[in-house]
Amino acid sequence: MADTVVYLYALVRPGVVPDLSPLRGVSGTAVRLVRDDRLACLVSDVDEDEFGETALRTNLEDLRWLERAAREHDAVVAAAAREMCTAPLRFATVCRDDASVRARLHVLGPQAAAVLDRIDGCDEWGVKLYADPSSPVPVPAGGSVVDEHGATGSGTAYLMQRRRELADRAFAVEQDARAADDVFAVLAESAVAARRHRLQDPQLSGDQRPMLLNGAFLVRRGDADSFRALVHAVAYGRRSIAAVLTGPWAPYSFASTEQDP
Amino acid sequence: MTSLPSVPQRDSLADVLERVLDKGVVIAGDIRINLLDIELLTIKIRLLVASVDTARRMGIDWWEHDPTLSVGQRDLAAENRALRTRIAELESAHQQEDDGG
Repeated sequence: MADTVVYLYALVRPGVVPDLSPLRGVSGTAVRLVRDDRLACLVSDVDEDEFGETALRTNLEDLRWLERAAREHDAVVAAAAREMCTAPLRFATVCRDDASVRARLHVLGPQAAAVLDRIDGCDEWGVKLYADPSSPVPVPAGGSVVDEHGATGSGTAYLMQRRRELADRAFAVEQDARAADDVFAVLAESAVAARRHRLQDPQLSGDQRPMLLNGAFLVRRGDADSFRALVHAVAYGRRSIAAVLTGPWAPYSFASTEQDP
Repeated sequence: MTSLPSVPQRDSLADVLERVLDKGVVIAGDIRINLLDIELLTIKIRLLVASVDTARRMGIDWWEHDPTLSVGQRDLAAENRALRTRIAELESAHQQEDDGG
């Protein structure tokens, strides 16, 4: 049998931890806990042939493997986050053995405690805004291909029309960007913390609409309903903008031990 | 309160990857895949964004509808073929006229 290494999912407080036996981690492995005095970590024993250095290098390039493993990683983190205060670790954090995990927990203790305090009782919500392509680009009054002299289809009229169209489109893009800024600001105000992520690649997301905002918001669990209502009020009410709310997520975007990235 | 459109059961891959790969607490494990490798991967994924396709989806597509600008190589080739065919037809018609006259 191949050697195993230890795969790390998330940091939790070392106190009372719920039963982990129903959880299945990456590649169907059992999930268990490694503890230090001040910090604990959810881990799995995984095959070195799959998560060793050479294997990972190859596997990470394989989008199908990556999708499966990433979803399995997230499933453990999400299940834990529903039960206890959970700080997700970045994907593919792998140690040789439990002693090595404990040594890291020991070093990380105080910093991790601060992170856990910050995210305690909160979930992450994603708010993505898209420009609605079905919404027409505003056409200025008298915007037909007729110029001031009434010459239809002349070169001058055509160029003027073209210039107007470009200006209108630029105006619409600017309006959309401003709307995204406004929505983010309003939502951020009612959240514990907020981040703007890079806009997503349509080839991965499968959503072909132009993305305007990819926001993450740390929201107290008790405020989830009012946050959702606020998303509805500020985002869904706008013409030409479509909003997608995702969550609740484990607080991935707010679990960094560094300050702002 | 109006209800929001229901959140899909399965989170999108893009949503999962951006969180799992890019966010969360960073600990240097013993297995050094090196975060750099993961960053390279996400950079690769992101590079796809900066494509002409994206520009088109962003609505920056006016050149496609502008006949003075959109005559690309393929259109030229097609136009060329069509013209050659037309010339051949005309020549052959002319030939017949000559023969007949």
